[in-house]
Amino acid sequence: MQRPAKWIFSESEKLAAMTVVIGFEGSANKIGIGIIRDGEVLSNPRRTYITPPGQGFMPSDTARHHRAVILTVLKEALEQAGLKPADIDCVAYTKGPGMGAPLVTVALVARTVAQLWGKPLLGVNHCIGHIEMGRLITQADNPTVLYVSGGNTQVISYSERRYRIFGETIDIAVGNCLDRFARVIKISNDPSPGYNIEQMAKKGSQYVELPYTVKGMDVSFSGILSYIEEASHKMLSSGQCAAEDLCFSLQETVFSMLVEITERAMAHCGSKEVLIVGGVGCNLRLQEMMGVMCKERGAKLFATDERFCIDNGAMIAQAGWEMFRSGQVMELEDSWITQRYRTDEVEVTWRN
Amino acid sequence: MAATDGDRNAETGQLEFSLEVPFPSVREATVALRSLAPDGEPRRGGISKQLAVTGSTLSVRWSADEARILRVSVSSFLDHLALVAETMEMFGPPVAQ
Repeated sequence: MQRPAKWIFSESEKLAAMTVVIGFEGSANKIGIGIIRDGEVLSNPRRTYITPPGQGFMPSDTARHHRAVILTVLKEALEQAGLKPADIDCVAYTKGPGMGAPLVTVALVARTVAQLWGKPLLGVNHCIGHIEMGRLITQADNPTVLYVSGGNTQVISYSERRYRIFGETIDIAVGNCLDRFARVIKISNDPSPGYNIEQMAKKGSQYVELPYTVKGMDVSFSGILSYIEEASHKMLSSGQCAAEDLCFSLQETVFSMLVEITERAMAHCGSKEVLIVGGVGCNLRLQEMMGVMCKERGAKLFATDERFCIDNGAMIAQAGWEMFRSGQVMELEDSWITQRYRTDEVEVTWRN
Repeated sequence: MAATDGDRNAETGQLEFSLEVPFPSVREATVALRSLAPDGEPRRGGISKQLAVTGSTLSVRWSADEARILRVSVSSFLDHLALVAETMEMFGPPVAQ
């Protein structure tokens, strides 16, 4: 077809030229499906598996939760976006890292609909999903990234087609430390243990000194957890301090450690931007502390709220969108899930 | 759906189990196979599983050292199969190729 010298597109032609990606996420206790059309979030429904106070979420129970709701969430995602399967260009799902059974549950549905609808399938690294969603929402160009969640704690900087890990936890994730402390003192897991610790910490007044464990560019949280577990039993029963004081002290300690290693990574890279992603990233006290450091260095802080910080489908769609647009393809037989999948294993084909 | 008993193969000493699942068409049986095949058994060794499509039937054959491992694998496969079948019911039929 011949086009006039100055191309004029109708509204429907413009929509047809855009790339629509649906993303499936379910690597932990959230199941989310989101649809992205060229940087616009069309829908992003999500469900959370919430366990009783004192209990964590086990892989098989979590998979059962996801299994029970995934098809309803998929229907919602399509309806809210006002799209038919034919409008979708690519199906993206979380390949890893995460818990095996929930990952498989979500991958099964993604593989099946990709085939039913005749669309290409792309496996996304969960951490890359967080980074790309953060970059999209905040428009941060080349930030030093602090990725903090229940399963991951990493300071990341982009260089030469990789998101390189400058520092990370050497044992448990910061969110895992917070979640497990919440279990010790039986704080509710609804909407999340971290949110409830954050609210209680606002009422804390006494700082209880805890171990501060930064090791070079890395951090360690398991010792802090053991220490505060023991201290909480003693101090709470004897009335030496309140649960609120412990929440406050734990947050101040672990967040200071994270700000310290983030600042050091910025100094290494000469970076003037910080982006916080991951579930712990919606903690306003962490954002506040990071903001103080950024101000001192003349840097800019970027963060998102719980819609995009906490695991969701749109983040997988967004990373999938970048991968798809840069020409990545995946054969169906290569779509196995993997519990371990480091951020720096992925070649970032969509950035210079 | 037809299944054979978990019998011990006299030659190999392995426990064997097989399953045949009919689908409306070859296309749907193939979709199921390709959705279910990519993830290997979580444990290394002690069990193997083979999937194949003949006509519109998906057939699966297991071979395992112990009944316990076989039972876990078959049971999880059935869960996965049910999810794939339900997805096909709600979001199918497959578009023309």
